[in-house]
Amino acid sequence: MVFESVPYGLPSYVFGPKWFYGFDSIIELIAVIVSILLVFYSYKCYRMIGEKKYLYFSTAFLSITISFMAKIAGTFSIYRPEITRTQLGSSVHQAFTSLTPYDINAIALVVHYFFMLLGFMMLFLIISKLTWKNQGAIALLLYFVFLATWLSIIHYQLFYATSFVLVALIAYSYHQNYREVRSERARFVAIAFGIILVSQAFFAFAIYSKTVYVLAQLVQLLGFVYLLIPFMLIFRKPRKDRLK
Amino acid sequence: MSEKRRGKLEIIADILKSIQGKGGKIKPTHLLYKSNLSHTKLKEYANALLEKGMIEEKIVKGRKMYFMKEAGYKFLLEFERIKEFSESFGLD
Repeated sequence: MVFESVPYGLPSYVFGPKWFYGFDSIIELIAVIVSILLVFYSYKCYRMIGEKKYLYFSTAFLSITISFMAKIAGTFSIYRPEITRTQLGSSVHQAFTSLTPYDINAIALVVHYFFMLLGFMMLFLIISKLTWKNQGAIALLLYFVFLATWLSIIHYQLFYATSFVLVALIAYSYHQNYREVRSERARFVAIAFGIILVSQAFFAFAIYSKTVYVLAQLVQLLGFVYLLIPFMLIFRKPRKDRLK
Repeated sequence: MSEKRRGKLEIIADILKSIQGKGGKIKPTHLLYKSNLSHTKLKEYANALLEKGMIEEKIVKGRKMYFMKEAGYKFLLEFERIKEFSESFGLD
């Protein structure tokens, strides 16, 4: 485990065992792919229907996508430090000579924290049908995201505690949604967020054991696979009687 | 018919579903009754659908009929997908 404090008090973390280096990035890449699919499809819905809720949903998952990409980039700088010796890597390194892989990791983690919390917050606001006209409440929640990011810099567990609360609220809303619509797809979405909730709990304790981090990543992978299933069910080959 | 105020696309989908429900062809009087729209509004929507190539107008045995076209079926399929997506992801 690499645990180093870099300038401005930004901590740098790598939780996984050495043999797991890169596997976590692959899992996060799968989460990025699932999130991007949701970003594109909900944006397509927005273009077709013109209702803002689809645009907000798309933005929420875009935020989650950025968050995972930042995490991948941040850990990549430590897993593969030789990247600084490539042509692109060395030119980046020349531009930011003072940045060590740990600095990059620490900065990427802050980006990861902020966009993940923002994405979950937006998702919660959308599915709890909170009116966007209530700008005061939105501003307060946005402040809460900034505050949570700042506190997460002090200790990473505060980030996972906050994301645990947000995902718990999201999972509960999706459970309510399933009880309302009673569809198989809605059930998968509710289960997906339930699983992601468990992964957040595991991540919160990753600092105590490398195995816990591996478990957290595997549970997270399962959560995103479950999130992909309802999406695939919608796009299954149309039956002839469905088209005509 | 939903009690909520229908959006433009929901009205279009309802019109197309009415035609689909009648085997892909419908008389304007039946469509007026099934779509729950005023005569003027239905004419407006029918013209838009004709323009977009989702339906076509034909004279059968001296009477005007609306026929569903491939683009209409495709729209309905996409609309159903969006509805399923919205339902599943709590966007309804």
